[in-house]
Amino acid sequence: MRTQAQQRSWISIFQKYQGLVGLIVLLIGAAISVRATFFSAANFANILNQLAVPGLLAVGMTFVILTGGIDLSVGSQIGLLNCVCASWLVAGRSTPATILFVLALGTALGATIGGLISVTKMQPFVVTLAAMVSLRGIAYVYTDNGTVSGLGDKLDFLIAPKFGLPFNAWIMVFITMAAICVLSKTVFGRHVYAVGGNPQSAHYAGIDLTKIRIGAYAINGLCVAIASLIFTARNTNGAPDAGAGFELDAITAVVVGGTSLVGGFGNIAGTFLGALFIVCLNVLLILKGVNTYVGMGWKGIVILVAVYLQSIGRSTDS
Amino acid sequence: MKNLIPFLALLVIAGCSSGGESNTANSSAGTGSTSSDSKDKPLVVFSQANSQDPWRKVFDASTKAEADKHASEFTYESQDASGKSETQNNMIETFLVKNPKVMLVSPNDLSVTKAVEKAFDKGVSVILLDRDIEGEKYSYYIGGDNTEIGRQAGKFVGEKLGGKGTVLMIQGIANVTATQNRRDGFLESLKAFPGIKVVLGDDCGFQRQKARAYMESFLQKNEAIDCVYGHNDEMAIGARLAWDAAHPTGKAPMFVGVDGCQKEVVEMIKAGKMDATFQYPTPGAMGIQVAADLLKGNKPKDRRIILPTVLVDKASADKYLSDNPNLAN
Repeated sequence: MRTQAQQRSWISIFQKYQGLVGLIVLLIGAAISVRATFFSAANFANILNQLAVPGLLAVGMTFVILTGGIDLSVGSQIGLLNCVCASWLVAGRSTPATILFVLALGTALGATIGGLISVTKMQPFVVTLAAMVSLRGIAYVYTDNGTVSGLGDKLDFLIAPKFGLPFNAWIMVFITMAAICVLSKTVFGRHVYAVGGNPQSAHYAGIDLTKIRIGAYAINGLCVAIASLIFTARNTNGAPDAGAGFELDAITAVVVGGTSLVGGFGNIAGTFLGALFIVCLNVLLILKGVNTYVGMGWKGIVILVAVYLQSIGRSTDS
Repeated sequence: MKNLIPFLALLVIAGCSSGGESNTANSSAGTGSTSSDSKDKPLVVFSQANSQDPWRKVFDASTKAEADKHASEFTYESQDASGKSETQNNMIETFLVKNPKVMLVSPNDLSVTKAVEKAFDKGVSVILLDRDIEGEKYSYYIGGDNTEIGRQAGKFVGEKLGGKGTVLMIQGIANVTATQNRRDGFLESLKAFPGIKVVLGDDCGFQRQKARAYMESFLQKNEAIDCVYGHNDEMAIGARLAWDAAHPTGKAPMFVGVDGCQKEVVEMIKAGKMDATFQYPTPGAMGIQVAADLLKGNKPKDRRIILPTVLVDKASADKYLSDNPNLAN
């Protein structure tokens, strides 16, 4: 009995820190194979630059997944918000107004999706799958099948260095900190875990499931909006096909970071490490000159291993 | 057993970081000592937009073949963005960490402008292949000229038809410049042949099966046509297949395509199933030559290098095959 309990705690500790463990293993691999280029100041800035968009998406996705949901429409949301942002700037609207509008629109989109899920009681997978298709279509209609270009350097300040790091890295760090505080220090945060862990008992305990779900999806929408601003700054145009597949990157980071896809278990710090792991893996594969498609194969295996670890964790718990 | 699994997981994750070594065929030595290697030889990198269609495959193969010839002068590495601009942005920025001397980029679309500018501002010689970026922050551009290809195809068809007849044009993706230029150049040349009528066919998306389906419907109209001009070879082949299914015997119209990147097309020309194709040249080999010249301190005269097209017909098919060993199957 005792050994079984020890074994269980060993796995749960590993599960809790699997993003960190993976990252450390990866960094050791990098130290052995491409030390000179990987551990350089230039590559540090490079990694932070690449981390912002997937990192922010993963933070938002963590809220949704903790409530037991999923959001497949994140990539399409990026596409639409990217087009809206570029169109507003090209039309000559002021940068602050554009930023505020994009943030408000993203949050509203998220809240609407959360509301739909709560009201219709349909599975989040289905509702967000529908949103993924519709929002992508809207992005194409909105831009009349074209690319919106010519917005110049209006958003450059988002990716320019500030205090030694790219500004988008500071945004990423700030949002991650804020998300950690919301989840661990607020009533809302504890309710998010409760709703995902056991919706029925959360309901009997007097928690308004609808409110919590809408809140989680709205936070996700806000994170997507911030990510879309940084995305637009990096790409300097609006493309209706932008962000395709980003939802999967976000889910991957969350899962690798140790958050359970059934909800109620996980944290933002793990997600941050998961996102960092994925970005470091991408960079390492490029630095090593590994073929893109071989790299995709490896990434699939990493996801599989991460999810499998969770499933054994769960089976020892029950 | 169960507590072995996390260790297996660690092994897999560790495998990711070392797994590259067996696959670094195109970086000269993908082992732990690349740092000393890169001190000896300058680095030339190539960021490809995607490697998914036959033309890009030929493009990749000819670039690699040319780079191999210069293996003693520089280290060459290439990566493919699988058609995603964001992936290409990240790739270009990560390449910069390795301090390349020359960077070849075939941009996925205009979204990679910023990353390319960053490389240019860092002092890397940036050679754009096939597609442009916004603005002027690049060193050289190498590509084909689709309008000229259209003109030559129009002239060829006009002369072969003796100045009269009907041409069916099967079109590529409507909002792509390659389609517009290959159409406009063709129509421009045909102005010299007022006896030739052009039927503007549908957008068949550069795809064989779409062109075949379109041609099958078109043939139901029983309109006499003397030539089919496809904006690429795949569509010309699709149209030919539809024609053969409807008319197993008898005289066929002329079939003319563009690209000339597949062995299949050249074999069809030799067999008389197609009449001609116009090569859309792949710029990779020239890109490597320019890179090699730049490293020796020789700057090319022209900033924009436009590659000529080559007519492939029955007479030149064998020579074309031996001149272009890297054609797709």
